[in-house]
Amino acid sequence: MAQSATETDFSLDTAATLAASEDAAAIRGRSPWYLAWRRLRRNHVALASLGVFLLILIACFPLAPVYAKHVAKTAQNTNHILEVVKVHGESTPVVSQGGYVSKKTGKACGTGETDCTLLSAIPIAPTYFGAHGKFVLGADANGRDIAVRLLYGGRNSLIVGIGSSAICVFFAIILSLLAAYFGGWLDFVITRFFDLFYAFPVVLLGIALGSALAINGFHHWGVNVQSGSLWIPTLVISYVLIPYVGRPLRGQVMSLRQKEFVEASIAGGAGPFRIMFTELFPNIISSVLVFFTLIIANNIVLEAALSFLGAGVQDPTPSWGKLIADGQDLIVTRPALALAPGLAIVLTVLSLNIFGDGLRDALDPRAKVKIEH
Amino acid sequence: MNRRHPWKWLAVASLAVGVALFAAACGGGGGNKTTTTSGGGSTTSTAGGKTFPVFKIATDTGTDYLDPGLSYTVEGWGVMWNVYLPLIGYKHVNGPDGATLVPYLAQDLPKISSDGKTYTLTLRKGLKYSDGTPVKASDFRATIERDFKVDSPGVGFFSNIVGAANFGKTKKGHITGIVTDNGTGKIAIHLTAPQGDFQNILATEFAAPLPANAPAKDTSNNPLPSTGPYMITSYKPNKQIVEVRNPHFSAATYDNNVPSGNPDKVIWDVIGDDSVALQRTITGQDDWSGYHPIPTDRLASTQQKYGPQIKVFTPANTYYFFMNVRTPPFNNVKVRQAVNYAINRDALVRVYGGLATPSENILPPTYPSYKKHSFYPYNLSKAKKLVSQSGTKGMAVTVWNHDRGLDPKATAYLVDVLNSIGYKAKEKIVNSTIYWTTVGNQATKAQIGFADWFQDYPHPLDWIDVLLNGNRITQTHNNNYSNFDDKALNSQIETLKKQPTLTSSVNSKWGGLDASIMKQAPWAPFLNRQFTDFFNADVDLSCYENHVLYEFDYATICHK
Repeated sequence: MAQSATETDFSLDTAATLAASEDAAAIRGRSPWYLAWRRLRRNHVALASLGVFLLILIACFPLAPVYAKHVAKTAQNTNHILEVVKVHGESTPVVSQGGYVSKKTGKACGTGETDCTLLSAIPIAPTYFGAHGKFVLGADANGRDIAVRLLYGGRNSLIVGIGSSAICVFFAIILSLLAAYFGGWLDFVITRFFDLFYAFPVVLLGIALGSALAINGFHHWGVNVQSGSLWIPTLVISYVLIPYVGRPLRGQVMSLRQKEFVEASIAGGAGPFRIMFTELFPNIISSVLVFFTLIIANNIVLEAALSFLGAGVQDPTPSWGKLIADGQDLIVTRPALALAPGLAIVLTVLSLNIFGDGLRDALDPRAKVKIEH
Repeated sequence: MNRRHPWKWLAVASLAVGVALFAAACGGGGGNKTTTTSGGGSTTSTAGGKTFPVFKIATDTGTDYLDPGLSYTVEGWGVMWNVYLPLIGYKHVNGPDGATLVPYLAQDLPKISSDGKTYTLTLRKGLKYSDGTPVKASDFRATIERDFKVDSPGVGFFSNIVGAANFGKTKKGHITGIVTDNGTGKIAIHLTAPQGDFQNILATEFAAPLPANAPAKDTSNNPLPSTGPYMITSYKPNKQIVEVRNPHFSAATYDNNVPSGNPDKVIWDVIGDDSVALQRTITGQDDWSGYHPIPTDRLASTQQKYGPQIKVFTPANTYYFFMNVRTPPFNNVKVRQAVNYAINRDALVRVYGGLATPSENILPPTYPSYKKHSFYPYNLSKAKKLVSQSGTKGMAVTVWNHDRGLDPKATAYLVDVLNSIGYKAKEKIVNSTIYWTTVGNQATKAQIGFADWFQDYPHPLDWIDVLLNGNRITQTHNNNYSNFDDKALNSQIETLKKQPTLTSSVNSKWGGLDASIMKQAPWAPFLNRQFTDFFNADVDLSCYENHVLYEFDYATICHK
C-alpha cells in the first residue's frame, strides 16, 4: 500500500506525488502510460499546442484541396498573371502592368519619348475576403494564390518534417541499439559514423547534399529518386540528423544494458535481437517519442532553411521555406508573401516544441532530451 | 552571351576550331537603339573640361577577370573597355551609332583584300603603354598567341587566322597568318576564308594589344599596362577595383575616338545585393549602382523620389524557350508551334516586372535586320488542337532553367502552360554556374528550357549563326540548344556569312531567315528586356552615355 504524502515530504518525482495523492485503490494496476497521460492532461498549454498543431495538420491536408477548389477556385501552381478580379466591387489586376510607360498614354514608352515613367508590375495585395475568397493573402509574381500555396506548402513542409523525423528516428534507434548492445568494433564504427556527421554543420551538409541531389536525383543501388521529389529533402534531412538522435539514445541503451533485467534475460536464453527489441527498446520509447516530437519542429525549420537556399523543395512545388524565398523579392510592397509562411512556421514549430516539452515532462521529467546542433 | 555570365559561345567556338566564318569585312552593321529617359540621341563624347576627382560604382559580383585575354562578362568588359584598347573599336556614343567601328590603336580601319582574306592595319605613331613602354606591332601577334596560351575563352574568334589552329595545338612558334613590322607598325592578318564579322572580332577585348612580355597566366591581381584612358592600379577580387588616369594617354592621339575620361579615379566596390547597391547610391556612398537593376519591389518608390536619376535602356537581347528538335515531343513541329501559340508573351512581360517588350523574333528589335513577325498570336485552343493532332498528349516534359534572378518565374509559367495544353510538365532548376554547360551537353537531352542571349558584337551572325546553324552543333558546350539543323536554312546562313557588309538587302535576308526559322519554331522567343541605370543626385546625367555593347560609359560621365 502506498504511503500517503505529507506536507513535509519532498519529491522531484511528480509521478510519485501524483500517485500519492490518489486513492490507493485507484492507482492499483495503472500503467506508466496512464500516469503520463494524467500528467499531460494537466498541462493545458501543451494540450493547447497540440490542438494548434492538429488544426494546422487539418488545414494543410484535408482542407487544402477543398479550399483551393471551392473557395479560391484555383490550383497551387496555376498562374493568373493577366487576370482581373473584383475586390470590393473594383476591378483589380492580379499582377499590375508595370514597365517604362508614357505618362500620357500609359503605353510602352517609344523611342525619343521623354515624358515617361517607370511602373512596377506588382501582384495583388491581400484581398482578405473582398474577392469572395480569391487571393485572400494576395498573389505572387506569377499570379498564384498565396493562401492556396501556403496550405499546400504547409502540406509539403509537414510531409518533409514528419517523414524525415520518422526515418531519422528509425535509423537512430537501430544504430543506437546495435552500438550499445554489441559494443566493441560495431560500437566503434557506428560512433565514428556519428562523429563524422557531428563534424559537419547540419545546414551546410544539408545544402551540399540537397544541391547535389537536386540536379539528377538519386539513382543507386536500385533506388531511384527523381530530382524535384519530396523524397530528396526528406532523406537529406533525416540523414544529417541521425547522429543527433542516435548518440543520446545509445547512451541510454548502454546504461540499460548493465541492468539486472537484461542479465536475467540473457540468462533466460534470449537472443540479442529479442533483448534489444523486447527489453531495451520499450525502455527507451518515452525518449524516442519526445525526440520524435521535437525533431519534427527542428526538421520543419531545417526544410525551410534548405528550401530558402534552393537546396530543399524544388520549384514549382511550394513549401513554407520556398514561399519565404519567393516573397523576399517583394518584402517592401507585398510583405504578406514572406510573412504568412514565416508565421506559419513559427506557429507550427512553437506548438510542436511546447507540446514536445509537455510530453517530455509527462513521460520522464528527469530526462534531458533536446535537439542540439 | 548571357547577361552577367561568361559570353558562352566562345567556349564552344574554341572547341570548334575549323568552323570557318566567311566573307569579307562588314561595316559595323547592326545598329542598336538605346532607349533612355532622356531620349537617347547620338552625342559625341569629349571630356570638355568636365573632369572631377572620383567616380564610385557599386558593381555586382559578375567581374570574372581583369585580364583582357580571359574576361568574358559584361562587367569585366565594362571595366576594361576604357583600359585596354583594341586596334579598332566602337564609337563612344549613345544610340545606334555606337555600333560604328572607328580606329583606336590603328591609324585607320583595316584595308581588306579583294578576296576578303587579308586585313591590313597600321599602328598609330608614338603609342605608349601606361608604364611608358612603346606599343609595337608585334604586340598584337603576341596578344593573340597569349590568348591561346592562357586558354582564353576568345580563341575561337581567331581560329580562322592562318596558322592559328596549329598554334593552338602546339603553342610553340608563331601564328603564321599574323605578320607584323615594328618599324612601320604594319600588321597584316591572313585568314583561311573570308569572314563577315572579322572587324567586330578585332574590336573585342581579346584582341586588345598587351606588352609582348605579358605573362601567359591570369594577371587580374597584377593588372597589365594599359593603352586606354585609364589603368587599373589595384584589384581585390569580390571587393574592389581601382582605376586611375593613364599618364601616357592623350585623346588627341586617337582623333578623339576614345574619350580622355572625366573622372580622375574610378572605384568599383563589389556589392552583392541589389537593394544595398541602390541604397548606397541614394545616400551618396556610390555614384552609380553598377549593373544592379533597381529591385522590382522598390521601382515605384525610387521612380517617385529619384525619377530623374534613373535611366532605362534596352541592350540587344532576346529571351526565349528552346525546344530540342531531337527529343520527343518537340521533334514534332506541331508541338513546337503549339508552345508558341500557348505562351502569352504579355504575361511573361509582367513576370519580368513589366520592363520588357514582347517578341517572337530571334533578332532583337534594335537591329536593322529585324523584321517583326506575328506567326503565333496567343491562342490556347489552337495550341491544344495542335497537341492533340501531334499525338503527344500526356507525355512527360521537363523544363530546364537556372536559379538566378527572375528567370525561374518564366519557367514556372511555362510549366503551367504545358500542363494546360496536355503535358505532364515539371521543372528542373539547376545552379546558374553549371546551367549552360548542362543544357549544352547532348548527354543531358534537355527537352525544353529557358535561354537568353546578349550580343557579343552587333551583327546578326552573332545570333542566327551561333545559335541556330545546324553546322555548329557540338556534343558539349553546344549553343544550339534546340539542335535545330535545317540543311536549306544552314545553306542560307553560310551564304549570308560571306556578305562583306550589312546592306539593306543583306539585312532583309537576315530578317527573312529569322521568319523562316520561326515557322519551324525551334524556339519560343518571348521578350526583349529593358534594364535600368541608377545614379546619385550629384551625377550630371546630361553626360550619360549608354553604349550598344558595353552599356554605361563611365569615362564620359560628369559630376554636377
